[in-house]
Amino acid sequence: MNMEWWILFSVYVVATGILFFIPKKKRRLAVVAFLFKQIITFFWGLVAVELGLLEYPIRLFASINRTSFTYEFYAFPVICAAFNVWYPNGRSPLFQWGYYVGYTTVLTIVEVIIEKYTLLINYIHWEWYITWITVCLSFFIARKFCVWFFAKVSV
Amino acid sequence: MLIERLILVAMWLFGFVGLILFIPRKERRKGFLSLLMFQTFVWLCDMFAFQYNLMSAPVREFPKATDLPLTIDYFFYPVLFSIFYINKKVNRSLSSKITYFCVWISGVSIFDNVIERYTDLLKYKISPWYGMWIYIGFLFFVSQFCCNWFYKDRSLFQVERLETK
Repeated sequence: MNMEWWILFSVYVVATGILFFIPKKKRRLAVVAFLFKQIITFFWGLVAVELGLLEYPIRLFASINRTSFTYEFYAFPVICAAFNVWYPNGRSPLFQWGYYVGYTTVLTIVEVIIEKYTLLINYIHWEWYITWITVCLSFFIARKFCVWFFAKVSV
Repeated sequence: MLIERLILVAMWLFGFVGLILFIPRKERRKGFLSLLMFQTFVWLCDMFAFQYNLMSAPVREFPKATDLPLTIDYFFYPVLFSIFYINKKVNRSLSSKITYFCVWISGVSIFDNVIERYTDLLKYKISPWYGMWIYIGFLFFVSQFCCNWFYKDRSLFQVERLETK
């Protein structure tokens, strides 16, 4: 029981730590990536829980919200911000593809470990490869949005 | 129950129509950013408001997954803020800016109060009538502040533009 809360706590510390490494000049890109990711995670996170595909037995705001606030509101958007800030622009398509695969795989592995050994998340009708595919897809959509957002600046 | 459902559908409908009508094509990005910005604050603040029982949403879209009202927090109020932000006149006097702000806050609060009184979409618990006005005003103010920060420095914007190319 205690371990779960320590993990949640350290997720906030690590995610906030990542924010400090984002270069000042790229703060706006990070903000757009962060905010846009939330639009994906809020909605689909709710759908997944509503349909009973997943559950998060130990969570923040437990009495009013059955999705993972920590992951969907903060941790995943922060990682998406990092993803976009350090995106390997101008590298070969293979390298960029590997960048997607790397982020997605690390996140999936961490989730599978957390699922297996803690009560933070429980798969009900869910598999690790569904996580992999959805996470990869959401990175892709968020990246496309960021590129579109900064393509023509109308300020 | 039916009337609540119809109102939710109407919110999505009018929300999209509002975006199309009141967000000019060349301001689409700004509109999107302000919508996202408001969404994150309203979601966060409502988490606390609902946790501490200041409000509840008896009829809602995902009753099992969350106690928060999805349409209002995720879409409709962010759309309203976006329209507010895009149609704000920048080069006006301070008093007309304050008037614009207060008229909007009052409009949204009245709408919110009507929803609260006549439907089961929202129920306030302990907030007095002006509580909502302050709460919505706070959300609008913080979101506006952050959006202004975002668009403050044009030269920095160019750097990010090159970075994402």
